[in-house]
Amino acid sequence: MALIRTENLYKSFGELDVLKDVNLVVEQGEVVCIIGPSGAGKSTLLRSLNQLEKITSGKIFIDEELFLHREKNSTVFRTASDIYKRLLLEMGMVFQSFNLFPHKTAFENVTLAPIHVKKMKKSEAEEIARELLGKVGLAEKADEYPSRLSGGQQQRLAIARALAMQPKIMLFDEPTSALDPELVGEVLGVMKDLAESGMTMLVVTHEMGFARDAASRVIFMCDGMMTEEGIPEKIFMEPENLRTKQFINSIL
Amino acid sequence: MNIRDGTSINIPRKRLLVNCVVLVAALAACVALAFLKPPASALTERISPSFIEEAGDKYNETVYDYAVFNIARGKDLRIAAAETYIGIAGQVFSVDTGFMRPVADVLLWLPALLEGAKITVSLSIIAVFVGVFMSVFLALGKMSKFKPLSKACGAYIFFFRGTPLLMQLFFVYYGLPQISSALTINNKFLAAFIAFTLNSAAYCAEIIRAAIQSIDKGQFEASRTLGLTYAQTMRLIIIPQSIRRLIPPIANEFIMVLKDVSLVSIIALSDLTHMTRSISSSSNSVLVYIPAMIIYLIITAFFSFVFDRLEKRYSVYQ
Repeated sequence: MALIRTENLYKSFGELDVLKDVNLVVEQGEVVCIIGPSGAGKSTLLRSLNQLEKITSGKIFIDEELFLHREKNSTVFRTASDIYKRLLLEMGMVFQSFNLFPHKTAFENVTLAPIHVKKMKKSEAEEIARELLGKVGLAEKADEYPSRLSGGQQQRLAIARALAMQPKIMLFDEPTSALDPELVGEVLGVMKDLAESGMTMLVVTHEMGFARDAASRVIFMCDGMMTEEGIPEKIFMEPENLRTKQFINSIL
Repeated sequence: MNIRDGTSINIPRKRLLVNCVVLVAALAACVALAFLKPPASALTERISPSFIEEAGDKYNETVYDYAVFNIARGKDLRIAAAETYIGIAGQVFSVDTGFMRPVADVLLWLPALLEGAKITVSLSIIAVFVGVFMSVFLALGKMSKFKPLSKACGAYIFFFRGTPLLMQLFFVYYGLPQISSALTINNKFLAAFIAFTLNSAAYCAEIIRAAIQSIDKGQFEASRTLGLTYAQTMRLIIIPQSIRRLIPPIANEFIMVLKDVSLVSIIALSDLTHMTRSISSSSNSVLVYIPAMIIYLIITAFFSFVFDRLEKRYSVYQ
């Protein structure tokens, strides 16, 4: 079953076309990595899915339900607001710049949305938070403010915060790009654990090692288009498209 | 680690003890002096009968009782001549000559000055407090995507920042009754409160808008992906983070208002400045400006301290 499907997605900033006819499918349980040169529209694609960017035209299906249909920059169809919110919450997001709430402790960062959005009981939310913080290796940092955590710890906390809403799919927008090289490993470790536990993941990344080891499918994007996709071995070892070849050669 | 902790705790404790001893000793001395204070009648009896007789019905007498001493002055209102006596530690001293005369003057003006300071401070506090409250809505209104609301809030801010406060005050007190008698505000304090609140709301709205807009866009995005509504995002995420950034400019605005309150003398409300001016003209001396300015400085220093502490309290997470 496809958790996310897009049909003919277009996005332009004024004259600049950032996404051109993107047809993306993410099946349940898949770990899809999107790679490609900067400016290829990878992040924009991710941000279009959860409405941080408005698409110019195209259809987005979440959980096989039509979520949004826009043509020529105006909305043709949008699901009823309660379904819209439910579908939106099926996607958890991890940002490049973490975007943690600096005035809340690590623990409060995780419990905030379950309590205020899902109206979960405080004790229940706290139990989930404790479990998740343990999972990402931050059990002892629960009462620290984000500013007291290292970059790697902050990003792991951000992952826990997104997981607390129990999403069906996790979107990662270059999760390790803002980190010092020696801190990248701990975040990728948490992501690998998450992938192994069966979470569906859509990851925009420059970490080719991660894409090769953890991805079930790799998508190469260039100039706003999905140029090539396939299993990691194929993309990294024997790419068909010329641009893919150039990109793979330039980074290896 | 232990040694460092030990010393860093011990030294302030010793200092605290010394401070306490000094304070208790000073208090004990004051209590002793206060009990030895001569009765007020002992002071007024010293004023010479010939002086009272000469002044006739222009004779005026003032007696003030302070913590450890009291002071009495008999005054001839025609020629500003006076006999002044201070009572302390069981003794009565004449203070008509020498350096004690200005000190006695200040002491006698003090109650009136403090009365004025009370008006100044209370007007500033409630005007800024209510102004800040109003300004949150003005700021959110101005940032609203609903054009008529945003334009209306913008116009309000434009008007109150673009016209002199003095005129606004004048208009509220003298102008409104001429438009309609139903708008008459008889209470001067209330009129001043309305003018200052409306004015400071406009200034604070811009401060709050700037603070909210200085919050990283990522905070809004993270809130949205977690499903928080706009109202929840504002209440739980954005406004708590803006508070720390708000405190320094709001403190500045408060201190500005504190001094702008001196404009209320145009509607004859007796604030500190108005009191100072009337004492100055009745005593024929500009000396009174010195204690008045010192009172202003003490008030500003106090509130700067309070705002400083607030700022520290709200920056714990940084």
